Amino acid sequence: MAKKYIITNNIRTLRFFANEMTQQDLAEKAGVSRQTIIAVEAGKYSPSLELAFRIADVFGVSIGEVFTCEVKVEEGKKQ
Amino acid sequence: MSYQEKRSIVSILSGIVLLAAYCLYTIGKYQKGLVVPGDLKFWATTILVFIGIGIVAFIVIQIVFHIMLSISIAVSKAVKDGNYDDKEIEKAIKVDMVEDEMDKMIELKSLRFGFAVAGFGFIGGLVALILNYSAVVMLNIIFISFSVGSILEGFVKIYYYRRGLNHG
Repeated sequence: MAKKYIITNNIRTLRFFANEMTQQDLAEKAGVSRQTIIAVEAGKYSPSLELAFRIADVFGVSIGEVFTCEVKVEEGKKQ
Repeated sequence: MSYQEKRSIVSILSGIVLLAAYCLYTIGKYQKGLVVPGDLKFWATTILVFIGIGIVAFIVIQIVFHIMLSISIAVSKAVKDGNYDDKEIEKAIKVDMVEDEMDKMIELKSLRFGFAVAGFGFIGGLVALILNYSAVVMLNIIFISFSVGSILEGFVKIYYYRRGLNHG
């Protein structure tokens, strides 16, 4: 049985509670392009650990509050 | 559409134009009977000239593209916000054009694909030699496969920007 790690994030919610911070503002503060923030927020790109920490740092929260991981067990597949 | 996608489209179009120009030029010369069969010097010169043209054209097109993009961002920002603040516009352009880890990863993946196509072209060229085709055929297969590889590289980039990229 293989385990699949699905990473989700709360960036949209955190942006809302940070005075409706724009994606551009977040991109600027995290030092990446707006395209990357859009992709991370949509779950289309898993950021590096460094970028994940930088995003968490922008909101002043721990990394676990920004990103959560769901483990799915796939039957019939070797790990 | 993001800045990186637009840049990829521009490089795809310039690659297609260059390849089409090379094909039209060489086929035209060949049909007019101006090329002596097996004249490697002519083909080497033509390919070198087209590589030179390609590098210069790529640089010029990229400069023009960046100027046009900056103008379009400035105009859209001025129209949207109603005021024309130079610093705000400069900031918006910088945020759009910054190259980060995702761009580098997509660049690496697309480069790998481009090199694979070029590599297959090289093998194809060697196979053509084994099958008793002339060295001119091999030279053209290699040049065209490199050009096609760089065009496909752009398509792969757009694909990853649209689909996204996950590790593992």
